[in-house]
Amino acid sequence: MELRICHLYPDVLNLYGDRGNVICLEQRLRWRGISVETSGVSIGQPFCPENYDLCFIGGGQDFEQEVLLADLKGEKTQQIKAAIEDGIPFLAICGGYQMLGQSYKTWDGHQFDFIGAVDFYTVGSAQRMIGNYMFTCEDLPGTKIVGFENHSGKTYLGPSVKPMGKVLKGYGNNGEDKTEGVRYQNVFGTYSHGCLLPKNPQLCDYILTVALTRKYGQCQLQPLDDSLENNAHHYMQSRLERQ
Amino acid sequence: MRSIFRVAGTSNRNHYIYCVVEESLVVKIGNVWYTNFMKIQVIISVLACKLTRFAIRLLGRGGTDFPGRVALKLCPNLLGFLAKDVTTILVTGTNGKTTTSRMIEQSLLDSGISFFANKSGANLLSGVTAEFAANSTWTGKCRYTHALIESDEAALKQISSYVDAKVIVVTNVFRDQLDRYGEVSHTLENLKIGISHSPNAVLCLNADDSLCTSLADGVQNPVIFYGVNTPVYENRVEELSDAPYCIHCKHEYVYDYVTYGHLGGYRCPNCGYQRPQPSVCVNKILQSDMDGTQVVFQVDDRLEKAKIHLPGGYNIYNACAAMTVGKALGLSVKTVAQSLDHFACGFGRMEKFNLGQAQMRMILIKNPAGCNQVLNFVTDFSQPFIFVVCLNDRAQDGKDVSWIWDVDFEKLVQMGDVLTHLYVSGIRAEDMAVRFLYAGMPREKITVMKDYTQLLKVCTTQENPIYCMPTYTAMLELRGIISKEYGYKNFWE
Repeated sequence: MELRICHLYPDVLNLYGDRGNVICLEQRLRWRGISVETSGVSIGQPFCPENYDLCFIGGGQDFEQEVLLADLKGEKTQQIKAAIEDGIPFLAICGGYQMLGQSYKTWDGHQFDFIGAVDFYTVGSAQRMIGNYMFTCEDLPGTKIVGFENHSGKTYLGPSVKPMGKVLKGYGNNGEDKTEGVRYQNVFGTYSHGCLLPKNPQLCDYILTVALTRKYGQCQLQPLDDSLENNAHHYMQSRLERQ
Repeated sequence: MRSIFRVAGTSNRNHYIYCVVEESLVVKIGNVWYTNFMKIQVIISVLACKLTRFAIRLLGRGGTDFPGRVALKLCPNLLGFLAKDVTTILVTGTNGKTTTSRMIEQSLLDSGISFFANKSGANLLSGVTAEFAANSTWTGKCRYTHALIESDEAALKQISSYVDAKVIVVTNVFRDQLDRYGEVSHTLENLKIGISHSPNAVLCLNADDSLCTSLADGVQNPVIFYGVNTPVYENRVEELSDAPYCIHCKHEYVYDYVTYGHLGGYRCPNCGYQRPQPSVCVNKILQSDMDGTQVVFQVDDRLEKAKIHLPGGYNIYNACAAMTVGKALGLSVKTVAQSLDHFACGFGRMEKFNLGQAQMRMILIKNPAGCNQVLNFVTDFSQPFIFVVCLNDRAQDGKDVSWIWDVDFEKLVQMGDVLTHLYVSGIRAEDMAVRFLYAGMPREKITVMKDYTQLLKVCTTQENPIYCMPTYTAMLELRGIISKEYGYKNFWE
């Protein structure tokens, strides 16, 4: 078996440890003897969805986001939309997550149109939502996801999509409606950056299962020794539960 | 009014005038005139500051910030008064502030200049005020002609509005703790405001850092650029660039060479923005080993050999910054170059300890760029060693530990058996263990040991040298235990 991962804009959307998620996807495949190949697709490079089984897109800084918007005006917007409708799993974090939505309105009233592949929009606010946080995951009943969020954009979901889960501690999408992230087709969008997957190995395996099932019809991942990962997860979960 | 004898600063925030009216001092800061009443306020706040500091020391504690906060409560403009006749050198930037300051310190000592420095690392407005108060008489007169002040990047704009700096050094601008400083552009903006308060200061800027050189755009200050004209590592770690796109036109830069991170010989093929020609530079690296680097500096047309007695390519940059400050102050090039061979490194900056039989080097880590440079250094070793990482997530460390995923720890794993064992400690030890596991480190080589006393005990029994990388508050805690148990100085001494 083999999985081809596309890392979109790896040199631009790489804020704070987002590549940790790619490292995690790769290692958990390799440890099971499944081969994996990751390619970066950056500004000015073509994105051909048929070449990939899984796409990752991370968060970035405002300065670089402007560079990116120009690139998205080209064919990439249509290709990303087509890939999502075709069921290719996407993991999108923070700025990359926002970018899949309809638009971003800055706090001083400027509106930027984004890819519009998923039904949600984001509004900038003066307050930054920063900290360790925890949420449920509707795909994995009973599992709590721990992560770190750092965003000033407030995201509001449209009626045709579902959140990834419910916020237990922290802010989530907007700090108001207790939702966190988005689920649509095989898109997993979340504000939890950096070490999301390494500390939540069940979520990593779930996304891998979705990708492998889509490609090979069925998939049963071998269990791994997750003791170190679970220790890191339990530490943060119990710390947040004490708060 | 007999005479106005000095007007300093042109920006609104830094505007102060003082004059002598019938032998009594009248001072204007901002739009307010202060008379002798103010002088009494200064005396009271200086005394309060000195007393609190003394009391804290009696308790055996290293609080360096609190006395300053007390003084600022009593007299918010205190720093302006204390610093007004002092020639001040401000050192700021993301990485290398402390080491650069220790190098400058030695060159000032060797040049016979009377000065004090904020050595304890208190680099916010309150800590700097406390340091000035401690080095002034109770009437608020500084005992030294010069002050060497390390300043936090975000605090520069406050400090520089009270201090009329003679020299400002910006070492580099990297992504740092995002929860504290925000994005790189935000840090740059803060630095720009800080510099605007000091229109007379000579700016010493790193020519190899496109973010840093942009600080020279549109300012009237005299600028001296410094840089390294040659790559510094044979085999660099893989790292992300914090500034791949032109700050002016957003096209991708082209590099003639890279030293580390986004530093090197950059130029924009679209708008022509490029690395300025530095007037102080490292022309050649003659030799580098575990104890230091031998380089050839060029200061204008003059060549000068020097031995920097701290290893690591990033310390070549720090040394170059110190040479540049020497030029700005008109010090002898030879004296400054020689001082690089015997300065005392800052606490936790490659500091050496003998723990029983074992030797430990402690290297502070705080962000991916700095941590990658430490790895560039240790991955050159061929002798077996032990590695310790202590990861905390308090405010001063950065509450978000995801940056460890941007560090190329994979490089450490590639060293194989040269790295004999790895200990992870600190509040977020478990996260660090996961990072190493995914970097490919064999599980049996990783030990999680959260208790520092136990960790240091284990260290004393090691035959191989230990390289210990703590984040800031972890370093203070480890340093505290080492002082107590193994007879080293406390960090504030």
